[in-house]
Amino acid sequence: MTTPSSSPSTPTPSTPTPSTTTPSTSAGPTASVRGVRAARVVWRITKLNFKARLEYRGEFLMGVAIGAIWQVSIIVFATVLLTRFPGLGGWSSSDVLLIASMRMLAHGLYVLFLGRIQYMNVLVQEGIVDPCLIRPMPVYRQVQLAFFPVNAIGDLVVAVGLFAAALQRSSLDWTAGRIVYVVAGVLGGMLVEAALFTALAAAAFHFPATSYWAQWLEELMGTFGSYPLSILPKAASAAFTFVVPLAFIAYFPAGVLTGHGDDMGVPRALAVAAPFVGLVAFVLSRLLWNWSLSRYTGVNG
Amino acid sequence: MNAVIEARGLSKVFHTTVRRPGLGGALRSLVSPERVAKVAVRDVDFRVGKGELLALLGPNGAGKSTTIKMLTGILTPTSGEALVAGVVPHRDRERNAHNIGAVFGQRTQLWWDLPARESFAILRDIYGVPEDRYRERIAEFDGLLELSEFWDTRVRHLSLGQRVRCDLAASLLHDPPVVFLDEPTIGMDVVVKEQVRRFLRHQVEERERTVLLTTHDMTEVARLAERVVLINHGRIVLDGPLQEIRRRFGGTWQIRATLADAADLQEIERQERFAVGDGSCGSDGSGQGRGSVRGDRPDGSAGPGGSAGPGGPFGGQRDLSSLPGFAGIGVLRREGPRVVFGPVGDGAPSVHEALKVVIGRFQVTDLALEENDLEDVMRSAYLSDVPGQGALAPEGSSSSPSSFSSPSSDPSAPSDPSASSDSSSSAAVTSTSQGG
Repeated sequence: MTTPSSSPSTPTPSTPTPSTTTPSTSAGPTASVRGVRAARVVWRITKLNFKARLEYRGEFLMGVAIGAIWQVSIIVFATVLLTRFPGLGGWSSSDVLLIASMRMLAHGLYVLFLGRIQYMNVLVQEGIVDPCLIRPMPVYRQVQLAFFPVNAIGDLVVAVGLFAAALQRSSLDWTAGRIVYVVAGVLGGMLVEAALFTALAAAAFHFPATSYWAQWLEELMGTFGSYPLSILPKAASAAFTFVVPLAFIAYFPAGVLTGHGDDMGVPRALAVAAPFVGLVAFVLSRLLWNWSLSRYTGVNG
Repeated sequence: MNAVIEARGLSKVFHTTVRRPGLGGALRSLVSPERVAKVAVRDVDFRVGKGELLALLGPNGAGKSTTIKMLTGILTPTSGEALVAGVVPHRDRERNAHNIGAVFGQRTQLWWDLPARESFAILRDIYGVPEDRYRERIAEFDGLLELSEFWDTRVRHLSLGQRVRCDLAASLLHDPPVVFLDEPTIGMDVVVKEQVRRFLRHQVEERERTVLLTTHDMTEVARLAERVVLINHGRIVLDGPLQEIRRRFGGTWQIRATLADAADLQEIERQERFAVGDGSCGSDGSGQGRGSVRGDRPDGSAGPGGSAGPGGPFGGQRDLSSLPGFAGIGVLRREGPRVVFGPVGDGAPSVHEALKVVIGRFQVTDLALEENDLEDVMRSAYLSDVPGQGALAPEGSSSSPSSFSSPSSDPSAPSDPSASSDSSSSAAVTSTSQGG
């Protein structure tokens, strides 16, 4: 046992665990060791969460199905686009398909890796946040590990299919640079979406009604994120760039890849920097979220 | 004392908006909300030493949970400081997490959709408990709490009692020196409750853990707590051994004895004559039987000086303290050979000690004991607005000094035939409770 007030970090024989696990002690493991350990814990918990969902077979299959069906309107749109029209607003149909598929892929990855943040209001009300605050793991990570998002499987299956179709129809020369950029673009898109929902979740600590805002935001991204925003009036495309920055999810990176870099209504450099903008937005939203967490006053007083 | 848990002037103020009544009022509140500050906890000070079990008691909404949440780091105090195992909980959450275990009986910390045992495995990973120690502890907890009967069931399907037992085990997997338990026996049957109490005693006595516990179960308090802190309206009313609560909030007793020896009766008579029988009118009215704590009056109000027990520890009993060993024991009533003994003064002995003295001194042919049970005492304590640590008493109750030096001026002692009815006062308990 420790004699805490005099030597808080000195472990004694009967409490051996803190000495090996407390990251803040000076003799703790190095950052990389901690990183590996943390990743292993995340992986184990995810496996258990996945297993838990598998046990309700019917619910699991329905979850996968809804993920796929959710994207049906995009698929119908893509089919119509490819079979009936030569293009949209100066974009060839294969270029538009690249926007739609990149967005869907980014969205699927967001749901898989960071999507639980959207349920923040429910988690707060169910009192799941309180125990997170007394466990030695970042609260944001614990929120992400609350359950396994079965619907992400459906999302991703459809997204990968659509992305394959887009690549197949694309006349681009897929150099190493382009491959790297498309990967960065998709990851950046994931981060933009995560940043928007994380910012909303920061409000969810205090106002449960944010769930409606989250629904509206998801709807908005599904509706406008998949098209070249140049077909919209200037004010609308500006709003989608600077207010709700969904242009950065797929429109800008896809436009850069397909040679539309100069006609997207923003300086080319900004469009090129879309993946980086995603990263910055996510970091900022996390800071906001952390600040909000520090002002958390708990449920039922 | 080396305090493991330390609260220094801990306060928490919640800011909420008041809703005005009616639709018009609601609309007005929308435009110009009326913000109010609600003090949930004010200036709470206490220390808990290593290997000590402290029960934090108080009515619903008194501020117990808020205090625990500040000590666990879930809430940031508005002012004051908490120090748990040398760490300021809200400032260094991850380090604090390794030092503490916590159970909030009303809400689980386990993964709802997973069998409890898999939640344990997750916690083992999160806390980095070595595999051999993990197995050891799981086996130990299973032995004490019989978890293996249901730990392969999803937490969702467990009964409340089963779930809380799993929560208890989960909170101790990483062997924390400090444990916070907010209503740990909620929803348990009597057998399981006893099991959990044994478990907690084991944790305190064998493992030397420091435990802070809240409960509404008075049997639990009596079995477990060496020391209690009574909190009401966000302030500490009392901090001391359970006996102290009994003494201050009317924990009284009576020994009814029939004396066989006429010489004994004469002796008592002589003592009575010497002792000054001031205010003796109140003495005969003192509690006729159990449960006659003052707070039991049908209107539920604790009147002026409402903290003193039936007739108070004072109240004009005829003191026998000049007899050897009879310090703190007096005669409440006498009728021929039948004598009723009761406690007198601040240092009155417990009923068991008094019994020994009475039997040792007198020849007794018949004997009956009466003691208020702890629930009656607590009811009286919760209803009383006796200020501890300088709290203000609500209007209507002249704030009597916490030293209880002058309860003999108590005008409300006369016996009320309905006073011993327990059921009449139960509604009054809830009426004083506050939300939040």
